Amino acid sequence: MAELTVETRDVEGVTLLYPKGFINAHTVRVFEGEIQKALAQGRFKIVVNCGGLAYIASAGLGAIMGAIEEIRGNGGDLRLANLNETVRNIFEILGFNHLYRIYASEVEAITSFRRAEEAGS
Amino acid sequence: MRAPKPSLMISIPSQTSFLGLVRDVTKKMAESAGFTDGTAERLALAVDEATTNVIEHAYHGSGDREIELRIEDRGPEFRVEVVDSGATVDPRTVPRVDLDRYVTERRTGGLGVHLMEKIMDSVTFRRSARRNVCCLVKRKDPAP
Repeated sequence: MAELTVETRDVEGVTLLYPKGFINAHTVRVFEGEIQKALAQGRFKIVVNCGGLAYIASAGLGAIMGAIEEIRGNGGDLRLANLNETVRNIFEILGFNHLYRIYASEVEAITSFRRAEEAGS
Repeated sequence: MRAPKPSLMISIPSQTSFLGLVRDVTKKMAESAGFTDGTAERLALAVDEATTNVIEHAYHGSGDREIELRIEDRGPEFRVEVVDSGATVDPRTVPRVDLDRYVTERRTGGLGVHLMEKIMDSVTFRRSARRNVCCLVKRKDPAP
């Protein structure tokens, strides 16, 4: 079984990433590759659905940090949804819950982008 | 007769492709020591980070070295030692986590050690017989 797979799909202009497994110094390339693929296609609204994530090590958090400037610089954002206890705990330990928007569900994360558009229009 | 507490010692090549194995054995041993699934996963993450540190800092990414893992259920505590024969890395020189600089400077230095320290009850580094030993300890909650 692969240690990490990342499925993607697009919903209402938002790119959804579904990492399944664990993200560490070895598997981070797969995760980073999917983020970069979205950016190369000009897709800057990204939601990472963490439901299938066992854990994310510092290498994975580095991948998010490495991309966030470009994402936000292009008017987008990377938001997180559906965190289990372990992943939420990791984000809280590192204070990432203050740097990234975290939603209980994928639907709420997608809707948050739409709300921002409506507020801006 | 009391059953012996399980202990395990393995040597792996200094390659990140073995981190999955490190995660699996640590999690299995932590579960067998009585930790919940969530705590066992976090312990596996801490050992993953410690092993990654060895590969990146003690061995500077060289994949032909050896890392020894000693995992032990010592009754009241769960102990993992990650041992290498690479360069001595003084943990005091590892930059501390600076939240404010995460985004502005994309600094990731120190995140791994910070995670290890928050997950474990103690993280110590020592030099022994020309080897570096990173010792991670998690105490078990006292029985109710």
